[in-house]
Amino acid sequence: MILLPCPHCGPRNASEFRYAGEASTRPDPNATTPEEWRAYLYIKNNPAGWTTEKWFHRTGCRRYFTAERHTVTNEVRETRLPAARLESNS
Amino acid sequence: MTRSFFSRNGTRSGYQKQARYSAFDLFRRGLSGAEWPRAWRSRDPKSSYDVVVIGGGVHGLATAYYLAKEHGITDVAVLDKGYIGGGASGRNTAIIRSNYLTPEGVRFYDRSVKLYENLSAELNFNVMFSQRGHLTLAHNDGAVRTMRWRAEVNKLEGIDSEVIGPAEIKNLVPFMDTSEHTRYPILGALYHPPGGIIRHDAVVWGYARGADAHDVHIHPYTEVQGIDVENGRVHGVRTNRGGIATSKVVNCTAGYSSLISGMAGVGMPIGTFPLQAAVTERVKPFLHPVVVSGTLHVYVSQTDRGELVFGASVDPFTSYSTRGSLEFIEGLAGHVLELMPSLSKLRLLRQWAGLCDMTPDYSPIMGVTPVEGFYIDVGWGTWGFKAGPVSGEAMAELVATGKTPKIIAAFDLARFAEGRLVGEKGAAAVGH
Amino acid sequence: MSRGALKTGKSMRLGRQPGEVLDRSRQFVFTWNGRKYPAFGGDTIISALSAAGESVFSRSFKYHRPRGLLTASFLDPGCNVQVGDEPNVRGAHRKVEPHMAASAQNAWPSLRFDVKSANRYLERFLPPGFYYKTFMEPQRLWPLYERVLQRFAGGGKASPDAPHGYYDKRYAHPDVVVAGGGPAGMGAAVAAAEAGARVMLVEEEHELGGHLRWGDEEDLAALRRLGEEVARNSTIEVMTDSVVTGRYDGNWVAVSQRSLPRVEERLIKARTKTLVVAPGLIERPYVFQGNDAPGVMLSTAARRLINLYAVKPGERAVVLTANAEGDAAVADLERAGVEVARVEDARNGGDIGRVRGGQGAREVECGDGARIECDLVVTATGWTAPTSLLNMAGDKPFYNPAAARFFPSRLPEDVLATGGIAGDGSLDELLEHARATGKEAARRARGIGAALRAGIPQSTDGEEAPQDSPVTIPDLPVNGHLELFRGRTHGIVDYSEDVSSKDLVAAVKEGYDSAELAKRYTTATMGPTQGKLETVNAMAVIAEATGRSMEETGATTWRPPYAPITLGALAGRNFEPVRYSPMQPWHERQGARPLVAGAWIRPDHYGDPEAEVRNVRKNVGVIDVTPLGKLDLRGPDVSELLNFLYVNKWSNLEVGKVRYGVMCAEDGVILDDGVTGRLGPEHYLMTTTSSGAAGVLEWIEDWLQTYQPDWRVHVTPVTGAYASINIAGPKSRELLARVAEGVDLSTEAFPYMNVRTGTVAGVEGCFMWRIGFTGELSYEIHVPAAYGLYVWEALMERGADLGVRPFGVEAQRVLRLEKGHFIVGQDTDALTQGFGAGISWAIKLDKEDFVGKPELVWQGERDGYFRLIGLQPHDGSVAPPEASQIVEGKTIVGRITSSRFSSTLERSICLGFVAPHLAEPGTTVTVQLPNGERITARVMEHLAHYDPEGAKARG
Repeated sequence: MILLPCPHCGPRNASEFRYAGEASTRPDPNATTPEEWRAYLYIKNNPAGWTTEKWFHRTGCRRYFTAERHTVTNEVRETRLPAARLESNS
Repeated sequence: MTRSFFSRNGTRSGYQKQARYSAFDLFRRGLSGAEWPRAWRSRDPKSSYDVVVIGGGVHGLATAYYLAKEHGITDVAVLDKGYIGGGASGRNTAIIRSNYLTPEGVRFYDRSVKLYENLSAELNFNVMFSQRGHLTLAHNDGAVRTMRWRAEVNKLEGIDSEVIGPAEIKNLVPFMDTSEHTRYPILGALYHPPGGIIRHDAVVWGYARGADAHDVHIHPYTEVQGIDVENGRVHGVRTNRGGIATSKVVNCTAGYSSLISGMAGVGMPIGTFPLQAAVTERVKPFLHPVVVSGTLHVYVSQTDRGELVFGASVDPFTSYSTRGSLEFIEGLAGHVLELMPSLSKLRLLRQWAGLCDMTPDYSPIMGVTPVEGFYIDVGWGTWGFKAGPVSGEAMAELVATGKTPKIIAAFDLARFAEGRLVGEKGAAAVGH
Repeated sequence: MSRGALKTGKSMRLGRQPGEVLDRSRQFVFTWNGRKYPAFGGDTIISALSAAGESVFSRSFKYHRPRGLLTASFLDPGCNVQVGDEPNVRGAHRKVEPHMAASAQNAWPSLRFDVKSANRYLERFLPPGFYYKTFMEPQRLWPLYERVLQRFAGGGKASPDAPHGYYDKRYAHPDVVVAGGGPAGMGAAVAAAEAGARVMLVEEEHELGGHLRWGDEEDLAALRRLGEEVARNSTIEVMTDSVVTGRYDGNWVAVSQRSLPRVEERLIKARTKTLVVAPGLIERPYVFQGNDAPGVMLSTAARRLINLYAVKPGERAVVLTANAEGDAAVADLERAGVEVARVEDARNGGDIGRVRGGQGAREVECGDGARIECDLVVTATGWTAPTSLLNMAGDKPFYNPAAARFFPSRLPEDVLATGGIAGDGSLDELLEHARATGKEAARRARGIGAALRAGIPQSTDGEEAPQDSPVTIPDLPVNGHLELFRGRTHGIVDYSEDVSSKDLVAAVKEGYDSAELAKRYTTATMGPTQGKLETVNAMAVIAEATGRSMEETGATTWRPPYAPITLGALAGRNFEPVRYSPMQPWHERQGARPLVAGAWIRPDHYGDPEAEVRNVRKNVGVIDVTPLGKLDLRGPDVSELLNFLYVNKWSNLEVGKVRYGVMCAEDGVILDDGVTGRLGPEHYLMTTTSSGAAGVLEWIEDWLQTYQPDWRVHVTPVTGAYASINIAGPKSRELLARVAEGVDLSTEAFPYMNVRTGTVAGVEGCFMWRIGFTGELSYEIHVPAAYGLYVWEALMERGADLGVRPFGVEAQRVLRLEKGHFIVGQDTDALTQGFGAGISWAIKLDKEDFVGKPELVWQGERDGYFRLIGLQPHDGSVAPPEASQIVEGKTIVGRITSSRFSSTLERSICLGFVAPHLAEPGTTVTVQLPNGERITARVMEHLAHYDPEGAKARG
C-alpha cells in the first residue's frame, strides 16, 4: 500500500484517502460550448507517467489536496493544498 | 456445419491449409508420433498493410479474423508489444454473459454469447465455453430492483434471465451462506443460465490460428511507438521493428488505449485502472455457477482444474501498475468468506492484475474517430473479454464497409461530446 | 490387516541424529488413510510416514502416477494431503499431531491402486493442450465432456461444514524485516539489531538455521553460535513457521505467521523501512525419464530426512552430484547405512539416463548405460534463486549462465538481498556479506524513518536525516555451477501439473514459443509451488526448443503471494461497520424486522406495514429517521454555497425557513435532494438522503476547498450526532405539543416549511422541522443522539391515547409514494438529468452559476428526454413489481420505478419513467409484468396520488 504525504497530516496509508481524479479546470459555465464542457467532464490525459491529481483525506483532516504521482511506479513526488496553488497563481 | 476453414465461403487467395484438430487426429498423431504444425506462423513485418490492428488480444485478433474471413481483407497485420493474449485477454476472469441492463447492451452481448457458443466449431479450437449459469446476488432492496430491471429487459430481448430467491440460490450453491444473520443477507439473485466461463487463452489462440489460416500476419513483440497522421488521415505506424505504411489503423488495446489514441491526436474519456484477480489452490469441484456480488465487490467461479478464480472491482485509483496490492486480496478474502464461510482454510495461490480502461458510462467506445482511417475499439473496462467476438465482427464490418454497424452505433466516441451516454452503469459496476 | 491396527511395516527410523528435531519422549499415533501410524513429536506427516516405510503419498494430477517425497519441505509437490476438513496441507512441512487424520488426495480408490492411472497409457494421445484439439462439437455435448475433465481436477476437498477459525491481523512498524532465517538472514538480523534497528526475522521452516540445520557438526556449532547471537538481541522478533508472502508498494510487507497457539494463521502487515531478502536457494530437480518416481529425491531432501527426522531414505542409492551438497548427501547416506551403489559426478561427466520403476524407483540407467538396481536416486544438480520478493519490488533479476541461476539486478533503496540469492561463498563470506547488509539495512531504515517523520508538517523537532555514510557490502563470490536442467531423456518439469519437458517442446513447436505462451499452454508453473521448483527447468527446456539462450527466453514474473495463504488469514475478522440509531433497543424489543440500508440497519416494519400506513393517515405515527444525512453549515457565505450547489434559489431564505433542494452533478444528473433550514443568520442545517450523506459532504468540501476557497463556510457532518424522529399524522401537532417547550406550534406561528429550535421532553437544543415526506401534517425533530431513545419513549408514552404507533421504512415508502415524492437512485438513475425528474419548477437557469448549469440549459432546449410521471394501473388491484417495463410492442419505452398497493386509496399506485411521447397526463401505457402478462395504466396529472395540493401537510 502506497503512502500518501498529506500536506496536513504527513505520510498516511492510501486507504485513508479517496482518489478524486485528474486535476481539471472548470470552463466558464455561461460561455462554454457543449464540446468544451464535455471535454471537461469526460476527457482525461491518463498518462503513463507523472500526473497531477486530486485526493481527499477522508479519514483524516478532510482536506483536498493536489498530488503529483507517477502512474507506473505509484511514487508520489509532491503534494500541496489547493490554496497553495491559488497563492502561486495570484 | 460451421467447419469454416474447409467449407465456408471466404477468401481463397491467402488461404492457408492448417492441420485439423479432432479426436481422430489426436489419435492418429499419437500413433504415428507426428508433430503438430505451428498454430500460427511467425513472420517479419511487411513495409505496408491494408489494415494494421494494434493489440493482439481477443479484440484485435477477432477483428483481423473477421476482416479476412467475412470481408476478404487479408492484408492485415496484428501488432502486439508483448506475446499475444498477454494483456487484458490473458488476465481477466473469463466470464461470459449477456444479462445487461440496456437493450443496446443486451443485444450486443447476446450476439457475443451466440458467437461464443459456436466458436469452438467455428475456429476448430476448443475454447471450453462452459455455460454453467451466472448468479448476480442482491443484498438489498435496491439491488433486487436492479436485478428485476435487468431480468425484465433481458426477457424482452429474448435472454434467459430471471430473479430467484435465497432457497433456489442455496440449491445452486450449497456452500453459500443464505442465512439472514450475515452482514449483508442475500435477498435474491439474477440467474442467467447461459452465462458461464471460458478458457480465455484458447479464445485468443483460436482466433490467432484462424486469422493465420486466412493469411493475416501476427506480429508479437512489435510495439507501436507512433502513428503518422497528416491532414486528418492515417498514413502509417512506427514500431520498434520499423515503420509500416497503412491507411487504416484499428486501436484494439486495453490499458494503453489512451496512449495509442494520443499518438493519433485523439483524446479519450478514459482512465486506466488496475483490475486485480486471484486464484486459489485446487480443490475438487464444488461450485458450479459463476457467483457475483456487487455489494461485496467480488465474483467467484471454479475452473475445471479445481481452482477458485476471484475478481473484484477495479482499484481505487488510476495506475498502469500490475504489481497488485495486499488490500485487494484482504478485501477479496473477506468478502468470499462472507458468502462461503467454510472456505477459510482454502489457500490463495496467486494474484495478478490487468489494466482496465474505464469510461464514464461503463460502456465501450467503438467506431470512427475525427482522424480518418483511425478506428477505435476501446474503453472495455472490466467487461471486454465477453465482447471479443462481437466486437471483432462489428469492427471488421466497419473497417471493411466504412459504415458503422447498428449493433455498435450506441457506443460511438461522439456520444460524449453530444451528451448521449449509455445507461449501463448500474449493471456493469461489478458486473462480471 | 485390520484397519484399526498400528501400521508396522519396515521401519526406516534411524537412531538419534545430532541435529534431529524429534522429541523422542513424545510418541503418539495418527492416522493415514484410516490406518494408524506412530510418530514422534517434531515429525512432519510425511517424515512419520516415511519412517514407517511408506513411500507413495499422492497421485499426480493428469496421469495419476504415484508420487513420493521430492524435497521434504513445504514445496514438496507430491506431499500435499488432506487433514480433516483442510485440503492441500503441506505434508512434508506440517507437524503431525496426536490423532491427526490425514489422507491422500487425488487417489481413487486407493493410493496403491488408482483407476485413473490408466491415463498413463494414454499419454501419447494426450499431448499438452489436447483438450483444445477435441470435444469441439457439438457444443451441446461439451458439458458432458467437461464433467469428465472435472473428475480429474486435483487437490483436496473443501467441506461446506468447515468452521471459520480464529484469525486476527496485526500491524507492525519494524525498521527492518528479514525474509529468511537461514545463516545469512540471522547474520543480517543481528547486525541490523546491533546497529539499533527493530528487526523482524521471518523463517518459513519451524526453526531458524536454513541449511546449517541438516549440516555436519561444524554447521551445527555455527548454528548454535548464530542462535545465541539472535537470542541476545531483544530487538529481534523471531517468527518461525512464518513467511513473508509479499512485498507491495511502499514496502508494505505481508507476513503469514503460522506458529501461534490456537491461531490458524495470522496476517501481519508490516510497514517496514527496509526489507532484507534472504530466502536462500531452492534445490532444483533434474529432468530425466522417471524423475518423478517415488524414491527419486533431491539431495537436500535426503539430508533433511536423515539429519532432521532420523529417517533412512532408502536401502540402496545412486547419487548424481554436481556440488558440495550432493557430496555431503553421499556422506550422510553412507552414515545412515544406505548402500551407495554409485555416485555419478556431473562435474566429471556423470549423468543419469533414466529411472525405471512403477510404484517406486527400481533401477537406474546411468550416463554410461550401466544399469543399477536401487530404490533411491538422489540428485544434486543445482539451485534456483527464489527472486519472488525482488520481482515484487520491481527488480528484474538477470540470469548468470556461469552460475546457472538468477541474481538481483537493481533493487530499490528500501530492499536489500543477502545470502545465496546474492552469491556463493563460504559460511564466513556469507555471514560477512549478511552482516554488512544488515547494518546497511539499519542505516537506510534510519534515513527512511527520518524522511517519513520530516514529512509530518506538525512535527517540531526538525529532525535532520542522519548523515552517516553507506556501509560497504563486500561482493560475494559466484562459484561455477553447471547448467544442468534436462538430461538426455525427457522427464517431468512440473510435478504439480504433470507437465514434461516433452510437453514443453511440443508446445514450442506448435508456436507457443515464448516462455509465457508455453507455460499458459501446458500449465507449467501454474500449480501449488507456483514455479519455485519448475520455472528454471521450464525456461531451460523452452530455450532449448526455441534455440534461444536462457537470457533471451527471459524470466517470468513471479506473482504474490510468495507462499500460499489461507483466505481466513487474509480476511481476518470482519470489520464492516454497522450503524444503529440510539432507538435500536426499542425497535428490537418491538420485534422490528431489520432492513439493511447501506451501513445502517433500521426497522423495515413492526409486523403490519399496512396498519402502520393507516395509522399515520388516521392518527399519528413516528418513524426513526436517524440515518437521514445532516450537515451543519456555518459562516457568512452559506447562502452563496447553497445557491451554487442546488438547482434552485437560496439567497432569500429567512431565518426559521426551510426549503427543499435538488443537487445535480456537473453532467446535470440528479445527485441528491433534501431540505435545508436556516437556523440563524449564519447557521444552516442541510439534510441529505441517507445513502448520500457521506458523498454530499465530500462533494461540498470539494467545491469549497478547490473551487471557491474564499467562501467562508464551515461544514460539519452531524448525522450521528442527532437522533431524528418524524412524527406524522393529523394528530402529530397534538402529540408534539405535549412534549415541546418554548415553541408555538400553531400554524400561524410555525407554518409548513419552517424550522424552530426548542426543548423536547425536557431535552434542550432540539430542532423541530415542519416538513414531511408522508403528505400529512408532520414534524421532524432532531434530538441530541444521547437523548434519542429517551425522547422516542416519551413520545410513545405521551401519545398512547392519541394512538401513536411506530412505522418503518416500508410504510414510509407507501406514504411517500402516495404523496409522489421521488427517491434519488430509485426513481432516478445514473443518467437522469434535472428536468427529467419533474422538478422543472425548481430549476433556476437564470442563476449566474450553479453546479451542472450548462447541462441543464441544454437539456431544457432539447426536450427529448424521458420523464418521471405518476401512473395508476387501470386495474387498481394489480401493483406491477418495481422495474416492470413499459412497452410498445417489443420496444421498451419506460419502466415502473416505484409501485405499491395504497391502502389509503385502495388501489395500486406507481411512479414511472417514460419516453416523452407518453408523458402527457391521460395517456395509456402498457406495462409488462414479470410473469409476461401485460396491463395498462394511466399517466396521471401529478406525481402525487394523495392530496396533490398539499393541503394536509400545510394544515
